[in-house]
Amino acid sequence: MTKDPNSLEGRVAWITGSGRGMGSAHAKLMAERGADIVVHDVLEDEAKETAEAIQAMGRKVLLSTADIRDAAAMRDLVKEVEAKLGPVDILVNNAGIGEHAEIEEITPEKYQRMFDIHVRGSFFCGQAVIPGMKERKYGRIVNISSIWGMNGHHTASHYCAAKTAVLGLTKAWAKELAPWNILVNAVCPGGVLTEMPIRVQGMEKIREKEKKVPLGRWAAPEEISYAVVYFAAPTGDFVTGQAISPNGGETIVGF
Amino acid sequence: MGTLDKKVALITGSGDGMGRSHAMLMAERGADIAVCDIDGDKARETAELVRERGRRASVHVIDMADTDAVTTMVADASKALGRIDILVNNAGFGQRATVDEISEDDFDRMFNVHVRGSFFCTQAVVPAMKEARYGKIINISSIWGMAGAPVASHYCSAKSALLGFAKAWAKEFAPWNIHVNAVAPGGVRSGGPVKLDNLDILRAKEEKVPLKRYCEPIEMSYAVAFLASPEADFVTGQVLSPNGGETIVGY
Repeated sequence: MTKDPNSLEGRVAWITGSGRGMGSAHAKLMAERGADIVVHDVLEDEAKETAEAIQAMGRKVLLSTADIRDAAAMRDLVKEVEAKLGPVDILVNNAGIGEHAEIEEITPEKYQRMFDIHVRGSFFCGQAVIPGMKERKYGRIVNISSIWGMNGHHTASHYCAAKTAVLGLTKAWAKELAPWNILVNAVCPGGVLTEMPIRVQGMEKIREKEKKVPLGRWAAPEEISYAVVYFAAPTGDFVTGQAISPNGGETIVGF
Repeated sequence: MGTLDKKVALITGSGDGMGRSHAMLMAERGADIAVCDIDGDKARETAELVRERGRRASVHVIDMADTDAVTTMVADASKALGRIDILVNNAGFGQRATVDEISEDDFDRMFNVHVRGSFFCTQAVVPAMKEARYGKIINISSIWGMAGAPVASHYCSAKSALLGFAKAWAKEFAPWNIHVNAVAPGGVRSGGPVKLDNLDILRAKEEKVPLKRYCEPIEMSYAVAFLASPEADFVTGQVLSPNGGETIVGY
């Protein structure tokens, strides 16, 4: 048998927003598959928890609590990672926030924060790692969009549009960066049982929503991580500019 | 990890090319394989490759356009290996032809093998999947089924129909925990295109792909095996296109 195509052995992966929820699940699965991890979250306690879990797996960790909206800090972080763990091979643009709000409620500040974290944050994290990836002719970028970015929703239009922008970034970067073997793809999660929706909506409401999903349930965070790792590992070496949506059949669109 | 341990996979058109590659990878991941192909010698070769990987294989010589034979094949395969857990609707062929060149026979053959064959093969495996409340169906479409091409419109449209099945079946079968997805390959260095084009033409085409290459069949198998595995238990009705960035459409 050839080398395990699912392995991330020897890779360094930077996962933004990896203190908790899906980001933490991505970080742990990637560590399990052999990658060293940059755990990056503004929530310091949560980031430490993820970092400790990964160290317990025997992988190296670098922890950062830098604000993703600070592009200069992102460039500094990449330098620090290179010095301590080695060059970043994999970037998962996962950091994000949710906010239920109707259009009248979305102030310029709320709007700006939404786009700054999801879109501007992803863009400049990408910009910070891409020069090194170009030099090494190797890079894997996985942008986390959302089922709401594909399909819209009856609230949170700023969130929906920011997630759609992340898909646009994915497609354009796939084309721009292909000559350097930098592959860019997106994962669009459907309903996922993370702390955030459980806290905001409560399990009762979630159980109602699960009934509307063809598979009758929401996913565990790890079920989204599998898609992320498929793209990041050699299994995805011919895949770029694509989106995969683990969503239980809730949204079936496009080609 | 994406194990297929103790699963039984029926892969149509697995005598050669991508189908054989899917069979080998799935066997490596622990599945027994029902090898189906119109070419018996090639099917037996694939079965041998499966057995070399320590898994069981059954051989079925089949024309996918023959509905009765397809139904019988599914019964035979289940008898030989056990309930079919995974179906890969992969059997197909290419034909370069412009609209004016496509005869009624050409048209019917194209749709009967790709579309009708996949439909009735699925119809035959689904009852047992429903009973087990578990199943994975992967339809092999094509980049040409997503985006079209300047030739072979009958092929393009048949491959689009396979996407239509994937989406509709995902919804119809979800209550039984049967997951249906599609893989839409871009350029692959398998027997088909190498036969249809010479290597110089292939190289020129590779230049137009953002990643500047076609892929090896195994790279397509990774997508199929991912969708067939427990790692994709929340994925249904979706299309994955390993295509080197050649086609970037839809969401």
